[in-house]
Formats: sequence, structure tokens, C-alpha cells
Amino acid sequence: MQNIIFGLVTGSILAIATVGFSMIRQTEGFINIAHGQLLTLGAFLGYFFVATVEMNVFLAGLAAMVLVGLIGVLLAIVVFRPVAKSGPLAQLFTSIGLAYLLFGLIRVIFGANVTFFPTGFGRRLDLGPVNVTVGEILIVVVAAVVVGLLALFLTQTRLGTWIRATASNPELARLRGIPVNRVSYAVWFVASALAGLAGVMVGLIGNVHSELGWTQILIILAAAVLGGLGSIYGVLAAGLLLGLAMDLSALIIPTSYRTVVAFGVLILGLLLRPQGLFAAKGRREA
Amino acid sequence: MSGVILFLVGVVTLAGIYAILAMILNLEAGWAGMWDLGLAGLVAVGGYVFIITTQTTHEDVIFAPGWPMWAGAIAGSLAAGIAALIIGIPSLRVRGEYFLITTLAFAEVIRQLSINLGTITRGTVGFNQFSRPFEGLVSGSGYRWLLLALVWAIVLLVYLLMRRLGHSPYGRLLRGFRDNDPVARSLGKHTNRHRLQTFVLAGLMYGAVAPLYVWFIRTVTPSLFTSEVTFVTWTALVIGGIASLRGPVIGAAILLIVTEAAALAQGLGEMAVVLASVRFIVLGLVLILVMRFRPEGLANERDAFANASRRVEA
Repeated sequence: MQNIIFGLVTGSILAIATVGFSMIRQTEGFINIAHGQLLTLGAFLGYFFVATVEMNVFLAGLAAMVLVGLIGVLLAIVVFRPVAKSGPLAQLFTSIGLAYLLFGLIRVIFGANVTFFPTGFGRRLDLGPVNVTVGEILIVVVAAVVVGLLALFLTQTRLGTWIRATASNPELARLRGIPVNRVSYAVWFVASALAGLAGVMVGLIGNVHSELGWTQILIILAAAVLGGLGSIYGVLAAGLLLGLAMDLSALIIPTSYRTVVAFGVLILGLLLRPQGLFAAKGRREA
Repeated sequence: MSGVILFLVGVVTLAGIYAILAMILNLEAGWAGMWDLGLAGLVAVGGYVFIITTQTTHEDVIFAPGWPMWAGAIAGSLAAGIAALIIGIPSLRVRGEYFLITTLAFAEVIRQLSINLGTITRGTVGFNQFSRPFEGLVSGSGYRWLLLALVWAIVLLVYLLMRRLGHSPYGRLLRGFRDNDPVARSLGKHTNRHRLQTFVLAGLMYGAVAPLYVWFIRTVTPSLFTSEVTFVTWTALVIGGIASLRGPVIGAAILLIVTEAAALAQGLGEMAVVLASVRFIVLGLVLILVMRFRPEGLANERDAFANASRRVEA
């Protein structure tokens, strides 16, 4: 039972991180390896705001989110916009280059040490067979609220509708007079902000260190492919599923195999359903 | 002064090893169109099988048959080939970026296994006591020169092999189905079988190169086979020019010299962490700039095969 709670927490964070990744994949058309580094950046900024500026955790999380979102937009303009016409291979490798650049910069600025958020998890609630801390509940609740807001944003606002239109057919969206550039910046902001939030959450439940981005991006990729890249709900479900699988597997095999379990699920998923768990259409080739 | 020279010898040796890896990657990714992000895993299989089968002492490990080096190298190569077969069968069911992610996933699984199967691989401690070939012939620092010569001789060998393969009907077939799979199939080519064959061939070669890497680094631990190996190899290939002939070698030489130059100054005490991070910044910047200003790389496919059609007519 206890592992289901852990799984839910891990899964919620993973879902938040993967949704942003998948939005970029849909509207910009490439796999953004640097997404993991934006997550690390979020974790370090959150830590900086809590530990050094001594902000409230919620405010720190919000500040980190906004800041990482803005950095994402900036990177999109400076780094990704110029190579947009060179095709997905060039964009993918640009993102790998950016990931290394950010990784190096983060290590220069914040150092290579492991640090912990100086924040407690609040009271431990005893719910019969399980123990839950207030912090863990808050993470799941915040994740759910954020996902709900994202869904509302995508379906109820004009900008959200534009984003979905651009995702499903960029050419047609341009022809219909949708301001594709503005949509692109909006997506970069939202996706990077979500990565930043996920980073703060990862830092809160574990620790903050510079290698975070590399380990997280692997699991994000697994969740994204399992969910079928395209559908937001598919990706959310896949994130939760992977989180649960990783933590429930701890009951029968050592926890050091967590990543192996995630990829085992991914490989199994690809073998059984090559089009992704929830993809409506067939997989498009890169 | 001699310290600097020995350091440079090391850099050039490492560049040679990456040149070989990049040429193999060029075969599967550049010509056959399989974007493999899992090559580090296959190098790991080759390296580990080599080192385990040639171990003589049973200290901390349950399996140490103490085979001679050549037998270990062959075993490593075969094991990597078999691993490639196991990875290839499910992965090749999907194309493009899905293939890329699946291979990356497999490489990570292999690395995690190498950490967790401590009774065979000695976990994160790894191996650091092993002999290297021809060690009796030359004295301590002379060995670096010997390894340099050995590595670059193999670079030349692989280059000649790849040039032969690239111009052969087989090479044309690979580039053919990379560009248009339905046409190749309509001409009666079993493109999926050829993909798997090429993937396994590349696996055998990655496994065979692994001992060189191991001899150069002088230890075998899981941290040597992270996806950094994959990404550095890819960067070398992309800088040099994907699908060209000389590109992988040029790219590896430039990349390694540029990134390792930062390490030259590394003795500066507290600056060590910063300088180690500078390597990553340089690597990233080089990749971003090349993609932006010369996405086809320094050498390119058109020039490499410019005479191909004429050669056929002659």
C-alpha cells in the first residue's frame, strides 16, 4: 500500500514533466533532450529561492516555474528558431548540444554537489495501513490542479485552441491565420515552466544534484513513447503508470532496478502496442 | 614538457577510438538510416565480456575463466553482436525517433545491469587490475605511444573497410532504403532483414572496439559507458558530416582536441570542477554552432560518393 502512495507521487511528477516534453514534440516537431536540463534548472532555482532567499516553498516553486518558463522562451528564440528549417535531426542534435551546455553551466554556477531542500514534509498522517505526509499529498494535489488548469487552458481559451490546432496541422494552422510564432512561444513557456515545476518537486521528494536532468530525461522519454507522444491524456496516464510500476516493483526486486523496470515496461509496450498505449493514429515517422 | 606531450598522445589516442566508433555509427545511422542512441550499451557489453572472460583471479567475482586476450576480445565482440540482435528485433519494429528512444532505453538497461549484477561485474567498483597487450615490450610511458599506433592502425583499417563497404552494392542498398524504403522493397530487397543484419554487424564491431577503450582508460566501471559515449560519438559524426566517408575521422579528431584542451589546465586545484564542466559547455557549444551554420557537417555525402556513378559505368 505504501508503495502505491510513493508511486502516485512519482507518477504525478513524471506526468507533469512529460506533458511539457510532449507538447514541444507535437508543436515544434522534435525531441527536446534539453527538457531534462530545464528540470534540473528548476530544481536548483527552487532550492536557491528556498535556501538562500528564504522564500516560502510555494512562492519559490512558482518563481522557479516562471523563471524556467522565460528561460525556455529565450532558448527557443536564440537556439532553436535558427535551426527550425534544418529538419528534426538538426533540431534534435541542437537540443543535445544545449543539454550539455546547460549541464556544464549548471555545474559551474551551482556546483556538482548533492543538496537537499531545507523543507520538512509536514505532519505524518496515519491512515490505517498507510502513512502519508502532508507534503506528499500536496505534491499530488498541485500536480492534479496544474494538469486540470492545463486542460482548461488547452480547451477553453483561444490560445489553447491555437496550440492544439498547430499541433495537429501546422501548415493548416498557418493558412487559417493563426499566429504560429506566438503559439510557439506560448508552448515553450508552458512546457519549460512545467519542467521547472517538476524539477522543484523532484528536488523536494529526493535531492538536488546536477545529474538530475540526464536520469529524468530517460524516464520522460520512456513515458512519452509509452503514451504515444501525441495525446496529452495518453502521456499523463503513461507517466502515472510508469511511476506506479517503478515504485510497486520495489516490493519484489531491489530499488536499484527502478529505471530498468521503467524501460522494461517501455520495451514491453512497444512490442505489444507499437503505436503507443493511447495513440489514436499510427505513429508518424520522424 | 614531456607531460604535455604524453597528454596529447592520450588525446589523439582517444580521438582515434572515437573515430572508429563514429565510423561504425556512420554505417548504421548515416547509410542505413538507423539512428542508434544505444551504442554505449553495446560497447559496454563488449568491454565487460572481454574483461570478465580474461580475469584470472576470483576475488569478489563468481566467474573468471582467465581466457587469453584474443579469445576474450572475440567473446566480447560476439556478445555485443548477440546483444544487438536482442535489441534490434524489438527496436526495429519502430522507426525514426521511436527507434532512437528504444535503443537509448536498452543502453541504460545494460548500464543499470552492469551496476547491479555485482557478483559478475563488481558493481560500481569495477575492474582496474588487468594486463594489456604487448605490455612487456615497452617501458611505462612508451606504452602510450604503442597504444596510439595500435589505435590509429585500426582507424586506418576500419576506414578502408568502410570505404569498400560504402562503394559496394551493399552500401548502395543501405543508402537506397534509407532514402526510399518502398522502392527498395519493390525491387525485391528484404530491407528489414538488411537493417537487422547491419545493426548486428555494427554491434559486433562496437564489441570488437571495446577492448581498445578499456586498455586506454585502464579501468572498467559502469560510469565509462554512460550515454555520454553515445552523444560524443554522435557529435563527432555530425560535426564531420553524416554519411560521408572521411567525416567521422575528421569530426572525432576536432571534437576530442577541442574538448580535451580544457583538461590541459585541470591541475589548478579548486578550479577542477569548473574546468571539468567547461568540457561539457564546449561540447554543447560546438554541437549547437555546427548544427546552425553547417548542418551537413564538414565533409558531406555528395562529395564522398561523387565518383560513384562514374565508377559503375567504367
